[in-house]
Amino acid sequence: MLQRFEYAAPTDRAELLRLLAESAEYRAQAEYGARTEHGAMAKLLAGGTDLLVNIRAGVAKPSLVIDVKKVAGYAGISWSESEGLIIRPAVTINEILRDAAVSSRFPLLAECARDLASYQIRNRATVIGNVVNASPCSDMAPALLCLGARALVASSRGRREIPFSGFFTGVKKTALGSDEILEAIVVPASSAGARGAYRKLKRIAGHDLGIVGVALSRKDGLVKIGISSSAPTPILVEGLEEGDSVDKVAAAAREAISPISDVRCSKEYREFMVETFVKRLMREVA
Amino acid sequence: MKIRVMVNGGAYERDVEAHRTLLRFLREDLGLTGTKEGCGAGECGACTVFLNGKTVNSCMVLAVEADGAEVETIEGEAEDGRLSAIQAAFDRHHAIQCGYCTGGMVMSVRELLRKNPKPSIAQIKEGIEGNFCRCTGYQQIIEAVLDVSGQLTPANKGELKYA
Repeated sequence: MLQRFEYAAPTDRAELLRLLAESAEYRAQAEYGARTEHGAMAKLLAGGTDLLVNIRAGVAKPSLVIDVKKVAGYAGISWSESEGLIIRPAVTINEILRDAAVSSRFPLLAECARDLASYQIRNRATVIGNVVNASPCSDMAPALLCLGARALVASSRGRREIPFSGFFTGVKKTALGSDEILEAIVVPASSAGARGAYRKLKRIAGHDLGIVGVALSRKDGLVKIGISSSAPTPILVEGLEEGDSVDKVAAAAREAISPISDVRCSKEYREFMVETFVKRLMREVA
Repeated sequence: MKIRVMVNGGAYERDVEAHRTLLRFLREDLGLTGTKEGCGAGECGACTVFLNGKTVNSCMVLAVEADGAEVETIEGEAEDGRLSAIQAAFDRHHAIQCGYCTGGMVMSVRELLRKNPKPSIAQIKEGIEGNFCRCTGYQQIIEAVLDVSGQLTPANKGELKYA
């Protein structure tokens, strides 16, 4: 049974931003100890595959759930040489897997998407939901970090851009303000054609959370590595070049991570497997 | 909130509270109890139904999100009291023991065969990766899918044991 909340499904972007601004104001006043008669603590709903589980578990306690899927302009993926790949809030993981521009120009995005949860969840879960949830084990983040993607963020105050390399600020924390929504992910056209692959260590071949995940991409003489489940946030390892030795690249990845021991495996095993995956990917991604 | 939903071809209009899941709506408001709740967190797939032609975990969808949508459940699988080909194959191969996972499992198999009429064993496993079975065992379920897709031969029957 879920706790009670109100539901809004605005079709108008301005209405969505207004609801978010109101909720942010209410939240700020509540934190300050002020008693307000009216107002709501809002949470945004896209696929619901994290939010509804969190509400059920009592981790999230919104009094208002704002469904973003009906907002005009929030559906679909588009590609152009001038703007790059644009992924909007209602785009599901399976839409990424069916998209021709993704499979031909950004195969690393599709590789990461393929490893996310189960088929039913991929039908519902969204790319933007996966990154704003900011789990250290996010499957989409390693690809987006490697590909130099940016977050286009909006609020009633205006718009701004955040590169994903500065988006994740802690476990389940992002640079988004409480009145802001991530309206689009932009993967730059300059990353199109990057060669890459993703390796995710799991207990079983099917639906499972990652123990560690490593994405590696190569383009224009640069090597980039995106790593999940090995630090408080997904991380990007940059400054590596084509021609660097496998050992040097593996050591850079090892240096960048700060894994913990938990129920899924030990810190030492995570360190070992990140290095192992990096070494394998350096050979496999030619 | 008032919602209108097509379920297994029939139109329903009901008042639902915002926090009601599609799963509870189907089971408690419409009495369609073939769709089960296992984990309530998207792990087990016992609550799998079709929402606008796509399989989803109905425990993680709000009933209000299904307003205007088409839903198909296990109750729509048999026609005029006759088992569908998938159900008949599950029956022949004893791919049902307690039956709790079966409704969701059949939904995922239907979706798999729609996309891929002749799936390999690896593709069958991937197609049902979001559906847990904890008593029948996957061997019989995989054999039933091979059979209904015309791929079960005396040669590969039983070879799946450790596949």
